[in-house]
Amino acid sequence: MARRRTHGYVPLTAAAAAAALALAATACGTGGGGGGEASDSLLVWIMQGTNPDETGFFEAANTAFTDETGIEVEVEFVPWQDAQNKVSTAIAGGTMPDVAELGNTFTPGFADAGALHDLAGYGVDTSQYIPGLMEMGRLGEGVYGVPWYASIRSVVYRGDLFEEHGLEVPRNWDELRETALALSEAEEDMIAFPVPGDAQYSVMPWIWGGGGEIAVEGSDGTWTSQVDSEGSRAGIEFFTGLALEDGTSTTGAVNWNEIAVMEAVAEEEAAMAILGSANPKAILEANPDLEGRIDSFTLPGQDGGYMPSFAGGSLLSVFEGTGNEEAAWQYVQHLTGDEFSTRWSEETGFFPGVANGVDAFSASADPILEPFAVQLKEASRGVPVTPAWTQVEAEKVLVGMQQSILNGEATVDEATGEAADEIERILNGG
Amino acid sequence: MRGRRALLPWVLLAPALTVIGLLLLFPLGRIVWLSFREYRLRNLVSGESDFIGFANYATLLTDPYLWRIAMVNTVVFAAVAVFTTIVVGTLVALLLAALRPVPRVVVVSCVMVAWAMPAVSGTYVWIWIFDVDDGVVAQALTSLGLVDPSGYNWFADRLFFYAIVTLNIVHGGFPFVAVTVLAGLLTVPRELHEAARIDGAGAWKRFWHVTFPVLRPVFAVVTVLSTIWDFKVFAQIYLMPGGDVGGSRMLNLGVWSYVRSFGHNDYGLGSAIAVLLTLLLLAITVLYLRALFREDGVG
Repeated sequence: MARRRTHGYVPLTAAAAAAALALAATACGTGGGGGGEASDSLLVWIMQGTNPDETGFFEAANTAFTDETGIEVEVEFVPWQDAQNKVSTAIAGGTMPDVAELGNTFTPGFADAGALHDLAGYGVDTSQYIPGLMEMGRLGEGVYGVPWYASIRSVVYRGDLFEEHGLEVPRNWDELRETALALSEAEEDMIAFPVPGDAQYSVMPWIWGGGGEIAVEGSDGTWTSQVDSEGSRAGIEFFTGLALEDGTSTTGAVNWNEIAVMEAVAEEEAAMAILGSANPKAILEANPDLEGRIDSFTLPGQDGGYMPSFAGGSLLSVFEGTGNEEAAWQYVQHLTGDEFSTRWSEETGFFPGVANGVDAFSASADPILEPFAVQLKEASRGVPVTPAWTQVEAEKVLVGMQQSILNGEATVDEATGEAADEIERILNGG
Repeated sequence: MRGRRALLPWVLLAPALTVIGLLLLFPLGRIVWLSFREYRLRNLVSGESDFIGFANYATLLTDPYLWRIAMVNTVVFAAVAVFTTIVVGTLVALLLAALRPVPRVVVVSCVMVAWAMPAVSGTYVWIWIFDVDDGVVAQALTSLGLVDPSGYNWFADRLFFYAIVTLNIVHGGFPFVAVTVLAGLLTVPRELHEAARIDGAGAWKRFWHVTFPVLRPVFAVVTVLSTIWDFKVFAQIYLMPGGDVGGSRMLNLGVWSYVRSFGHNDYGLGSAIAVLLTLLLLAITVLYLRALFREDGVG
């Protein structure tokens, strides 16, 4: 930390400079991160979770980058669950990477803390990106990350089973429930529609779908959470009711995260589930037998139409104080440029972060991605745009709410009330 | 001559003291320092922070979560886990002492496997054994008709949650106790047992009146060490389903400190929790050692 402190924030005194030298000497070999002086290699952190294997992509992208610039790139994969803690500890230890993929929900937090390099000076054309994603990379006048890819959640289902049992794609909540019930009856050994406890982005659509909001900012800057509004409660009641009353889920799903849900589909245990657009590919990678047997549909609205889903995605950010900011920015441009962003989308199923790339990509892509493209364009939402939101996710407030309902420890009213209080406390700086 | 002799122990101790100072005392001092400061993510980046006196401690000590959840989880769990570990470890040691050399080697090897298991892999194995849908335990209980076929999420039940943690901790902790106590048992003079036997003492009396008093210092060491380990259990709780959720009723002081620091980005308060845990451990250790050696007539 002392080393970071000497980097541009306070005047360098002789003692501080000596301390910086001593610390820099001990910090050698931590890759491209830190040191305060430019090196000829970059350290890049890429998130790892429910997306398909990406090593091949990075080998190609990095070789091309090295050929072009002479700068070596080392990519390290970081599991999503550990991402936030890992970045925090890296900042504390001065071992942060030069470039990191950051989930859009935690970019504002790190930007606000001053950990990220402001890219505004490089003349980024922010208008070309998907607005909802770009918004998460801006703070005041600064630009602290550029959208790399968008990820949206809809429903992945077993087309073969639907056909076998004469089921249609549901167009509203009632039909969804009937379909799930019919599936659990027809496929006794399968989980018709898992209701996971540890997957907050599977919960959010129901809050919005019922007509609620996670939190809204008043004119005086105070946040009010509407997780406990009538609409939100109706949505959560419906979703958890599928597990608690209709039995279309399984008790163990309380502990499932999105990875576990995806595995259940891949292992042919679950017949239909809320999953992201990169999941079908990963599922087929894990179980090639499912080729041609899975399909997808856009989340249906309460009374028809579409239900909003969380538009996640990642931004590529450059860390402040590594001494490699310029090279890091070059690398960000390299990955978000036409060639590699198209290739990335093709290989993973994520949508490009550039707005007009979405249409181009969805027209050429696998038909299974079409409902996801519709979801992204027609019915996608973001989380409250405030640096403090990161903490709501880190403290797993919505997860705690969902789990206590599913475990039968709290009613929907109690759990949503508690979650709303907690969200307000955090967002209002409590 | 005398001066040199007085210096010698310090010279010999110097390497160890340096290592301890760097690896232990510096971080400890840093934690104490942090606990008196307002330290958030922003301070982590800038490295600058403000002294706020005992504000973190005031927040901590008035938080009902400390008294109702974290402290209870820590203390009750540690008491149960230490007691169980010592009892199981001692029983295994007595078994080992009674065995012939070849079977003893076999049993010791099995015990060592439990000891060698890393905490993280061990915890995942226990989670898997207790998996709500497909775990061995769930399937056995369901087929016996003891659990409803729809299953029961024991990870959501504080008592069951800590029962699983206790199994995990005792499984990982008893080998150390067994091996240490066994080493002690082998030093108890055979004549003492023979004399007791002639006087008509049964197995329990021989253990309680002959073995235990001789091994008192050994039990002191394993109890103090187990207490320290069980108070600061982290991975075995954090990795369990629900063990990493901010407001969950499953956190102990160590995990709570981590969640406060890295989840809530409140490193000052997280450090205050860590200091509280350290003080608690120091107090328990001192009280325990004093009580023990006073009984013994030493010190």
